[in-house]
Amino acid sequence: MTPQTLTAKLLRRRAAEPIVAGSEFFRIAVDLVLGHDATIALLIERFQRAGRRIWDPARCFFAADHFTPPSTPERADILHRYLAFLNQECVPQDLVFRGISHQLLVEDRRCQPGMVICGADSHTVMAGALGAFACGMGSTDILALLLTGEVVLSTPESIRVDFEGALPEWLSGKDLALEIIRRLGEGGAVDRALEYHDRTRGGLTMDSRFAVANMAVEAGATNGVFVPDDALRRYLAERDGAAGPAPGFEGAWLQPDDGARYVQQLRIDVAALRPLVALPGDLGRIVPADEVEPRAIQQVFLGSCAGGRVEDLAIAARVLRGRRVAPGVRLVVTPASQAVFRACLRNGIFEALHDAGAMITNASCGACGGIDKGLIGAGEACVSTSNRNFRGRMGSPDGLIYLASALTAAAAALTGTICDPRTVLDDRVAAGLPAAAAGGAA
Amino acid sequence: MTIQGTALILGDHVNTDELHPSRFFSLDDRTVRSGFLQAAAGYEQVGGSDLSGRVILAGDNFGCGSSRETGARAFLLAGVRAVVARSLARIFSRNVRNLGLAAVECPALPALPPDIEVELDLARWRLLVPAGSLDLPVTPLDPFWAAVLRAGGLLPFLGLGEATGPAPRGSLPVFRGQP
Ligand code: SF4
Repeated sequence: MTPQTLTAKLLRRRAAEPIVAGSEFFRIAVDLVLGHDATIALLIERFQRAGRRIWDPARCFFAADHFTPPSTPERADILHRYLAFLNQECVPQDLVFRGISHQLLVEDRRCQPGMVICGADSHTVMAGALGAFACGMGSTDILALLLTGEVVLSTPESIRVDFEGALPEWLSGKDLALEIIRRLGEGGAVDRALEYHDRTRGGLTMDSRFAVANMAVEAGATNGVFVPDDALRRYLAERDGAAGPAPGFEGAWLQPDDGARYVQQLRIDVAALRPLVALPGDLGRIVPADEVEPRAIQQVFLGSCAGGRVEDLAIAARVLRGRRVAPGVRLVVTPASQAVFRACLRNGIFEALHDAGAMITNASCGACGGIDKGLIGAGEACVSTSNRNFRGRMGSPDGLIYLASALTAAAAALTGTICDPRTVLDDRVAAGLPAAAAGGAA
Repeated sequence: MTIQGTALILGDHVNTDELHPSRFFSLDDRTVRSGFLQAAAGYEQVGGSDLSGRVILAGDNFGCGSSRETGARAFLLAGVRAVVARSLARIFSRNVRNLGLAAVECPALPALPPDIEVELDLARWRLLVPAGSLDLPVTPLDPFWAAVLRAGGLLPFLGLGEATGPAPRGSLPVFRGQP
């Protein structure tokens, strides 16, 4: 048999016959379906007209994260209808109000390597960091899935991404995610899978891998998948306790075949990268932070499924501990989940951020999608650790959104301008910087 | 099948937040309709006007971004007849077709003047622009998508539109690893 990519292997083992003769699309049996208050609410009426029940409520991984708590009466109504739907269809409610669906998914033992996971949200791709096939879809696809247990998909070709070298202290997953998009272009992976191989010295943290996989969709990809390895095994062992990774974890089914064909290959030497920033508007302009024209900013947003994890908030706390954010800058901190929230409470991260002047909100989407608690006005600029800098996404169409890592965002909060974040790390790190970078804006 | 209409021309990488900002996310069709093109620079007025009979012509990676189906639904509510782009983002093109609206790619689509009349021939996979004497190839849809469009959307294609009595409910254990 022809050697196959990991994505092809994961999909084909769940595929039935082509849906119509001559088609490249197959019915695919789905292991887990992700949903949340906003996009599931859109399908409830049509679901009820179909007059059926959900094929398997135990496979529904449904959170409430967008309108939580609601900021308008209409959103309260949407949330209310959604929760009533969950009740009526006997869907587990243990995830409701606990944080962003995508983060809850990777924290939960229901999400396992090798699964086929489809979600009513584009960032469902993040679960690919756990070696699953995970992709986002709209409400009609998800409605059909809830009724039948299947989706109709073709097998995307894969782009192989190899991370190599040692990751410098000033970089994290967000910089790598931006580097991939910078190299591939905004739509560079449409209808393709990204297959990530972590060959870095010491390995990427899982939080960084989540940030990378999260933004697969910003390159247009169907899904992104990290090839399972020891780092994932350790993560699962810690997360799932005695259960640990399932028996098949070692198997060839969770690895791409030798000689698999890739439409494109990217080698990324992480040691050579500088912190990156996506300039406002779209993901077509991604540049090193030290080349961004300095500009006064009004807000920094640390949050979202792309950048609201413990690793992100910890690095921000490290920069801001014992200091104050620049006068007039709003630092909005929205942890991605209650588990992240609790960890930050316990280990002093929140104390450091709070004392530096941060406004800390409950775990939810918050300002990321322009939903609440941290919208920006016309002419204002925000540095955000989220995944989209689209016009109007966080409020006024005339507001500017810069995307960056938590370190770069924290440096902006501290200085009130976008700057090379390596200059605000402690002296030990700054001393190790190449001469060219050390002269950047402080 | 042939679809005729007046072109409404949009650019490259037009994303879902521009096409339909999240503040218009709603279960109410009037609110959804009113959000059409409300963050696409220079198109705010157009978005609110009568767009029935329009065919959208766009550049690369049209509809990138969010999976919110309100964005796709706004096209239907505005009366748009078809979407033709040099290339389409994946989730968006699925959403539009799932609702029964044709969304196709025409890689050679040139820059065209506003409001020009076009004709999309889905039998021959051509886009005709009579005023410019253009006859451009459209990438044929996979037979699955062609069947979905003929049926009027994904749910009718799958026979899931109307009540057929309760389906048997499975009680499978949650999948863990290789079965
Ligand atoms: S945090 Fe932002 S990108 Fe992530 S699910 Fe919420 S709105 Fe979407």
